[in-house]
Amino acid sequence: MDILIPDNWLRIYLKTKAKPEDLQKYLSLCGPSMERIHKGKTGPVYAIEITTNRVDSASVYGIAREAAAILPQFKIAAELQPIQINSAQKLAKKVDYLEAEVDPNLCKRFTCILVKSVKITPSPKWMQERLEDVGLRPINNVVDITNFLMHELGQPLHTFDYDKIKSAKMILRASLKGENITTLDGKKHILPGGDIVIEDGSGKLIDLAGIMGGNASAIDENTQNVLLFVQHYNPLAIRHTSMKLAHRTKATALFERDLDPENVIPTIRRGIDLLVELAQGKPEEKILDIYPKPYKEKKVSVPVDFINSRLGIKVTTQEVVSILHTLGFICHSGERTRLQNQTDPGQARMTKQTSQDDIVIADIPSYRANDVSIPEDIVEEVARIYGYHNLPSQIMAGALPQSLPQSPFEFEQKVKQTLLALGGIEVYTLSLVSKDETPTNSLKLKNPLGADSEYLRQSLVPSLKYVVGNNTREKDPYHIFEMANVYTPKKGDLPKEKMLLVGMFSQDFPYRKAKGVVEALLKELRVQALPKLKRLEDENLWYYEYETRALQKEAALSPSHQPIPKYPSQVEDMTIILPNGTYLGEVIQKIIKVNPQIKSVDLANTYQDTQTLRIEYQHPEKTLTDREVAFLRNKVIKLLTSLSASIK
Amino acid sequence: MRITYLGRKGQINLVTERLKNVGQEERKVLGRLVNDTKTALEYALRTRQQELHHVSKKEWFDPTVPGIMPQIGHLHLVTQAIDEIAGIFEKIGFVRVRYPEVEWDWFAFEALNMPKDHPARDEWETFFVDASPSPKYGNMVLTPHTSSGQVREMERVKTPPIRMINIAKCYRRQSDNTHAPMFHQFEGLVIDEGINITHLKGTIDYFAKQFYDSGRDHGPTAVSRIRPFHFMFTEPSFEVDFSCVHCEGRGCRFCKSGWHEVGGAGMVHPNVLKAGGIDPKKYSGFAFGWGVERAQLLKPGIELDDLRTLYSTDLRYLKQF
Repeated sequence: MDILIPDNWLRIYLKTKAKPEDLQKYLSLCGPSMERIHKGKTGPVYAIEITTNRVDSASVYGIAREAAAILPQFKIAAELQPIQINSAQKLAKKVDYLEAEVDPNLCKRFTCILVKSVKITPSPKWMQERLEDVGLRPINNVVDITNFLMHELGQPLHTFDYDKIKSAKMILRASLKGENITTLDGKKHILPGGDIVIEDGSGKLIDLAGIMGGNASAIDENTQNVLLFVQHYNPLAIRHTSMKLAHRTKATALFERDLDPENVIPTIRRGIDLLVELAQGKPEEKILDIYPKPYKEKKVSVPVDFINSRLGIKVTTQEVVSILHTLGFICHSGERTRLQNQTDPGQARMTKQTSQDDIVIADIPSYRANDVSIPEDIVEEVARIYGYHNLPSQIMAGALPQSLPQSPFEFEQKVKQTLLALGGIEVYTLSLVSKDETPTNSLKLKNPLGADSEYLRQSLVPSLKYVVGNNTREKDPYHIFEMANVYTPKKGDLPKEKMLLVGMFSQDFPYRKAKGVVEALLKELRVQALPKLKRLEDENLWYYEYETRALQKEAALSPSHQPIPKYPSQVEDMTIILPNGTYLGEVIQKIIKVNPQIKSVDLANTYQDTQTLRIEYQHPEKTLTDREVAFLRNKVIKLLTSLSASIK
Repeated sequence: MRITYLGRKGQINLVTERLKNVGQEERKVLGRLVNDTKTALEYALRTRQQELHHVSKKEWFDPTVPGIMPQIGHLHLVTQAIDEIAGIFEKIGFVRVRYPEVEWDWFAFEALNMPKDHPARDEWETFFVDASPSPKYGNMVLTPHTSSGQVREMERVKTPPIRMINIAKCYRRQSDNTHAPMFHQFEGLVIDEGINITHLKGTIDYFAKQFYDSGRDHGPTAVSRIRPFHFMFTEPSFEVDFSCVHCEGRGCRFCKSGWHEVGGAGMVHPNVLKAGGIDPKKYSGFAFGWGVERAQLLKPGIELDDLRTLYSTDLRYLKQF
């Protein structure tokens, strides 16, 4: 959640000489991140990022409280100023101006007060400017007071036109599915059910609580009597409704983070004061306060040596206590050994009384009750105020873990490095594809960004084909490849994720060169397999496709050594013409099988329909004589003749 | 010269003719002398002839003619970054692992201390897969972060030490200048006895120096810092900043403040250790998870205004790397 805090508003609650730049720098290091300072109507305005756990600092007062704890660590004096309150109304469980029935599971604390004879006017300039600096549009004094206080204290408020609540009765309950309400903005909502609503006793809904007020009970220019309303709502219910209705406001963001019920009273009292001051309102004598389960102080105890074990340094008990104190935690420190020894007094003299044995018991302030529950939370508070920048850095010692069995990474890296050397260009394409690009059983997203990225792909070929289609202006032949997982659905389980390597050659890439790339790749990977090129007929595109895991299984782990032959080989060329429809690859394989002394057969040249084969003869233990070579040659010729090849 | 000395009626032959007229002893000596002279003359003539021949044949050679490059390939920037990152962490004993990209909600959120409907989940714009949920692990999602691998790694290793580096594709439902729906993260996880914040700081510092300073001639200048943040699965949690490599932290047009945010980190929350079957009383740990693309874009020389440009498949773009 991002909030804006004007500097001059902040300084009402924070007495300090710190410059805005200092505030930005030091708060960002130890507390909420002050992203930017910009110039507003009232002076500098801080843009601050509030993390989800720190809703207590999502207000002017909350930031002042943080700053008052942090600045002194940097030797800058800072003091939190109290909230000024004049209102002295009594809190009462029953009042005569309103009869209220409240579901305590939905509303932990329900407060309101009737303020009569208000004068609706524009709010004063200082208030309007502050509201504008935090991005709010001034409306009138009554509405502006509620917005102003929500920003100042972090607790949303609401106002009703009292005279529009005919029966002076309110029932706060969960909505039924399909109930409807028209809100302030004129929108009619059909409710999903389970939303917090207020009805007036006649079945008519007058408020969609925590989300938006009802149109029928809204303040207007003729309003005279205002019901000021400050509550603690169930955060899950608020979140549920605001998500379902896609209605997200500052108030919903605050409510759904579970606000401090103790902050309700200062807020309503400030509200009363401002309605008196700015709208000449006349408040009733009692504040209705329905609060069946008041906040009970929460305690967290933590040994000082635990804090030190997480910090990696030694801080003293006194330092811990003083840091926690600046944050509003009241600490009771004692020595653990002493606590233990109460049951065994005889041991007391023998136990060393060092600070390592100290334990700190902290009373958690109500505004931090949701956030601080375990010793690790106390570690965080101590560490950040002590200053992360004051901690040393070191790489951990200790035993190293075992390596991953059958790690795929080195092999995959080698594949890519080899393709790099062979001129391949690597691409990354999106794993999410359209319906047309993948088999019908492919996994589908519930919430895709668009129809072109709705399915999880099971092949990389359509994506690479698309890349080729987008590079028609490329003048030279090229070879692209990608290595990525594809996702094969499995019933009742996560899909099987297969790492595929797919390469594709541009239309003008010569076939023999393309095949040679794959041959060279397999050779370099030490994989004994025949290269396989597949073809997209319509586009005249050749591609290869391998599962990297399967290749890795085939690959010899380390190169093997063959002694260099002691005796020279004999090499000769033989030019042949094969009949139509005869595969040269098969012919070559057959020639090799004629005799083990035929060491290799390569295609040396092709010219029109003639093919020149280069044949190498070799015997491992001697130099072949002319007669012996002639013998082998005749066998080859015999084979070729039997295949109806003519020899030139 | 050849005719005068070596010709049929040349000087050498004349002298040879006259050798008949001297005594046997002298003839032996003089004969050898004549032969030597003849050999020396023949050699000198041949050498000179060859020299003259060569000079006349020597052609104009232009060494400035452009070379013919063999076809060179190009690895994607993301691959280059991943290989570099993996290498840096492997040097300090991290083990690279891989976990599912399509994952159960439990590993992506619940086991990471993020219950259903928790507002903290809003930070992860998650894609949901239209498949029946697992009775044990909940919905099927595209993993929105590499942190999903934390509990899987704890389940694999069982007994620490753990030093994991998990680099993988992640998916989030977002697309703008600084976000692509598919991107890559690298996640570090260290669990052992006595792991504390100084170890996290040390590891982050080491990475910053290796990744941003290696190969520079003036020694390491990159520094890192951690600042308070909040994640449900770490406590305390941090935001990690690296000093700007363009201005070395002084503040410039590129970084504004001298620092760049690279991602999150923190001490592993005891609930997460428990979810992974590891005793939080005995062990502690830290974790960090950052964007590969983000880290790479902070390097000097690659100033892209739009992160999505990284995933262009235009060959004119790809051939630059």
